[in-house]
Amino acid sequence: MINNDDQLSITFSALANGTRRAILARLAEGEATVNELAEPFQMSLPAISKHIKVLERAGLIVQGQKAQYRPCSLDVSPLVEVANWTDQYRPIWEARFDQMDTYINELTNKENNDE
Amino acid sequence: MSDSNSNDACVVERVIDAPVELVWQMWTKAEHFKNWYGPMGFSIPVAEIDAQIGGKHLFCMKSPDGNMTMWSTGEFTELVPNQRLVYTDSPCDAEGNLMSPQAMGMPEGYPTTTEVKVELEDLGGKTKMVLTHTGVPAGAADGWSQAFEKMGALVATL
Repeated sequence: MINNDDQLSITFSALANGTRRAILARLAEGEATVNELAEPFQMSLPAISKHIKVLERAGLIVQGQKAQYRPCSLDVSPLVEVANWTDQYRPIWEARFDQMDTYINELTNKENNDE
Repeated sequence: MSDSNSNDACVVERVIDAPVELVWQMWTKAEHFKNWYGPMGFSIPVAEIDAQIGGKHLFCMKSPDGNMTMWSTGEFTELVPNQRLVYTDSPCDAEGNLMSPQAMGMPEGYPTTTEVKVELEDLGGKTKMVLTHTGVPAGAADGWSQAFEKMGALVATL
């Protein structure tokens, strides 16, 4: 439970930044080096590296180990959890509440007919 | 468990066209609860609800073809009649023994227990209902495959 909450918090705080989301969007097209990732931004390489570190700690990207050319690539597994939250459970509860509405209507109509 | 910040909770708000007393009974009376709780097409052959603090619940959801049953249990931790209720929810077997998420096919590290909070507000004949579901695990087995399918679209919107 605690570990799970922590992972979600880390994921969300990593996503709470426009530059980092843009980096992820770029990596969704394929792996890229730090230099390539830095290109679209008016930012120093160290600043971009810092964002990459945050994404790496959140498990959202992995960086290759080859010394010179260390391409970054996307790891979507932390996002699966986010998707589960927002996408999976809302429709389940919405559908249940639709059924509650229907059931209450039936109950109320029945009571009215009984009177 | 108690901290339900909106980042890690599923929050659903709804106005129900019924007095708050009736909506309260939808959650606390088994004969009402079993008429709406299951996913579409599922039946609820078992709903035991002991609506008092520390009281337990035991639910069974049965798939439309009758081949799959999903049991869950938990405990009421807060009950303020017509206003607020909180209960925990965990997968279990038909005897109410907790089952590990791994036994249900979930990946390592998933929580066994989630928390369901329901807050009701009397709008004079109608009722505002706010549901907060915290610590939700992966849930249905097909949740993962659906989530993976959605990945492409999700990442594209980041």
